[in-house]
Amino acid sequence: MSVDLATRLIDVLGGLLLFSTLLILAAGQLFRAIYAVAVQSVFLAIAGAVLGAATGNPDLWIIAGITIVVKAILLPWLLIWVVRRIQIPREIEPVIPINATLGLAAGIVVLAFRLSASLGPVRQAITGNALPVGIALILLGVLVMASRRKALVQMVGLFASDNGIFFTGMAVSQGMPLIIEIGVILDVVLGALVMGILVLRVRSSVDTDIADLEDLRG
Amino acid sequence: MASSLLWLTPLLSFAIGLAMLLVRDRRVLATLDVAGSLVLLGLTLAITGRVEQGGPVSALGIFRADHVTVLFLVLIGLLAVAVSLVTVGWMRRELARGQMRAERLRYYYALVHGFLATMLVTVLADNLGILWIAMEGTTITSALLVGFHGDKHGLEAAWKYIIVTTIGISFGLFGTVLVYGAAAHAQGGVLAGAMNWSSIVAIAPRLDPGIIRIGFIFVMVGYGTKAGLAPVHMWLPDAHSQAPTPVSALLSGALIKCALFGIIRFHTIARAACGPAFSQGLLLTFGLVSVVVATPFILAQYDLKRLLGYSSVEHVGIIALGLGFGGRLGTYAALLHVINHGVTKALVFLVAGDAIGRYGTRDMRVIRGLLGIAPVAGTLLLMGVFSLAGTPPFSIFISELMIIRAGIAAGRYVILAVFLFAVVTIFAGFIHRVGQMVFGTADASVGREPEARLPVLGLLLLVAAMVLLGVYVPAGLDRVLAHATEIIVG
Repeated sequence: MSVDLATRLIDVLGGLLLFSTLLILAAGQLFRAIYAVAVQSVFLAIAGAVLGAATGNPDLWIIAGITIVVKAILLPWLLIWVVRRIQIPREIEPVIPINATLGLAAGIVVLAFRLSASLGPVRQAITGNALPVGIALILLGVLVMASRRKALVQMVGLFASDNGIFFTGMAVSQGMPLIIEIGVILDVVLGALVMGILVLRVRSSVDTDIADLEDLRG
Repeated sequence: MASSLLWLTPLLSFAIGLAMLLVRDRRVLATLDVAGSLVLLGLTLAITGRVEQGGPVSALGIFRADHVTVLFLVLIGLLAVAVSLVTVGWMRRELARGQMRAERLRYYYALVHGFLATMLVTVLADNLGILWIAMEGTTITSALLVGFHGDKHGLEAAWKYIIVTTIGISFGLFGTVLVYGAAAHAQGGVLAGAMNWSSIVAIAPRLDPGIIRIGFIFVMVGYGTKAGLAPVHMWLPDAHSQAPTPVSALLSGALIKCALFGIIRFHTIARAACGPAFSQGLLLTFGLVSVVVATPFILAQYDLKRLLGYSSVEHVGIIALGLGFGGRLGTYAALLHVINHGVTKALVFLVAGDAIGRYGTRDMRVIRGLLGIAPVAGTLLLMGVFSLAGTPPFSIFISELMIIRAGIAAGRYVILAVFLFAVVTIFAGFIHRVGQMVFGTADASVGREPEARLPVLGLLLLVAAMVLLGVYVPAGLDRVLAHATEIIVG
C-alpha cells in the first residue's frame, strides 16, 4: 500500500473515530453508548491494519487483532453483562444538556487541530492527522466522563479516550513496541475488571450507582 | 549479578504476594509480610551500594537504576518494613473489632505485596512504557486495597480513585507517546531502546521542542493526577483517608512519590529539549496551586486521616515548588523532601491509625488525651505533626528551608510570599488541632491496651530516620542526592 493512500485512509478513519465519540456524547441510552465505543474500536483496528500494510510492520497487525478481540468484543461484552446483572435504568441523565456538550466537543476538536498545526516538521513523524485526532479523542473522552453521572458511561468515556491514545500511538513512526502495547491493553482489561467489581459491590450493598455516591466531601 | 537484582527485586515481591494466596494461617502471613519486606529493603540497599560504587546499572534493556532511582527505591523498602511491623498490631485489633475477616486476610497481604512490586517497577523502569504500565498497575492493586473493607465510603473512595487516576494517567501515556514520537523522528527511525529514558535523554537536545512541550503538559497533568497535585487531586483525600491505615501510609508515603518520579524523568528530558524555563514554570504553577488549595481544607478539617491526606497535597506541592525553583539547590531540596515527607507522613498515618483504633473515631474533636493512654504513640504523633508543620529540629524543616533558599536564589519572591503565608497558616492550624488530641484526659471508654513491641519498633525506625535527617544529612545520602541532582539538572 502506498504511503499516500495510507495517509488518506488514516485521515478517513480518524474522522470516523471522532464521529463515534460524538455518538457516545449524544447517546441518550446506555446501550447506544456501549455499541458506539465497540464500533469505534473496530475502526481503530482497521487503522492498525492499514498502518501495518503501509509500514510492513507485522506487530501492527497483531495489535489490530488484539484490539478487535479486547476492545471491540470483550470490554463491551463486560459492560453489557454488568448492565444486565444490576438492572439499572438505561437512560443516561446528563449533568450538562446534550446540546451544550456537543458545542463543547466542537470547540475541543477545533482546538486540537490548531494546537497540532502549530508544530514544526516533527509532524511528519506521525501519519496524517493522527495527532490532532488523538488529542481530540482523549479530551472528548474526558468530556463524556465529566458530563455523565453514571459509572458505566464513565467507563465508556475512558475506553474512548484510550482509543485516542492507541490511534496516535500506532501512527507514530512504526507504532509503539509490541510488548508495551500488550502491557497497556492488559492494564486496561484489569482496570475494567476492578471497576466492574466495584460497581457490582456497591449495587449489591447500597443499591445505587457508584458514581452517585457523594458522602465524602470537604 | 548486580544487574539481575533490578528485575529480581520486584519479581520476588510479586512472588511473595502470590505465595501468600496459598496461606491461611494468620501468623504465617504476618511473618511472610515482615520477612518479605526485610528482604526487599536488603535488596534495595544492595542495588544502592552497587549504584554508589559503579554508577547506573541496566538490565534486560528495560530496567535501569541510577542515583535518582535508588532514592525512591530505598524509601519504598524502608516504608515496606515499617508498615509490615505496624501491620502486626493493627491487624490484631482489626480482627478483634470485626473490621477484617480472617478468611480474607491472605487477599489483603497478597495485594499489599503486589502493590509494592508495581511501585518497585515504576522506579526501576528505564523504558517509559513500562514505567506507565507499572504506574497503572499501582492504581489497580491499590484501588482494591482502598475499597478492601467493602463499606460504602471505602467503595466510593475506591471508585473515585480508580476512575480519576486511570483517566488522569492516560494523559501520561499520551505524553509518553508524543515524546517517543519526537525521539523516533530525531533518530530518523526506530532504533533499539527507542523508548528508554536513558537513550531519549541522551539525544534530548536534538528533540523538537514544540512536541516535547505538548508531551510534557500531558505528562504533567497525567502523572500529576496520580501524584495528587491540585487541581487534579480531588480523589486523594478520599482514597488516602478511607484506605486501611497501613495502605494509607504506603499511598501517601511512597506511591505519590513514584508518580513524582515519573514527572522528574520527563522533566529531565524537557529541560534538555526546550530549556529549563518551560517545565519549571509548569511545576511552579502546579506546586503553588496545590499548597494554596490544601490550606483552607487543612484548617477546616475534623477528620484526622483526611487532614493528613490534604497535608500530602500540600507537601507534593512543596516538592513541585522545589523542582520548579530549580538549580542545584532547589532540585536537591526537592529530592530530600521526597524522603523526608515519605518517612514522616507514613509515621503520622500509622500513629493516627493506632489512635483511631483506640478511640473508634477519626473525629479530632473526640480524640483526647492520647499521651495518657499510649505514651509512645502520643509522643510520636506530636513529633510527627511538628515535623509535618515544618518545625525545627525535624527533617521537613531542613528541606523546606532549602526550598525557600532556592526560591530566593531564583528570585521568585511573589511565589515565596504566598508559599510562606500558606505554610505558616497550616502550621498554626495543625498544632492547634493536635495539641487538643494529645493532651487532656481520655474518656473511660477508650481502648487502653498496652502498646505492642513490634509495631512500636516499626514506628521507631521511622522516627529515627526523621530525627536523624533533621540534624544532618549522612554523607552517603548526601552523595546520592548530589549525583541525583546532577542527573536531573545536568
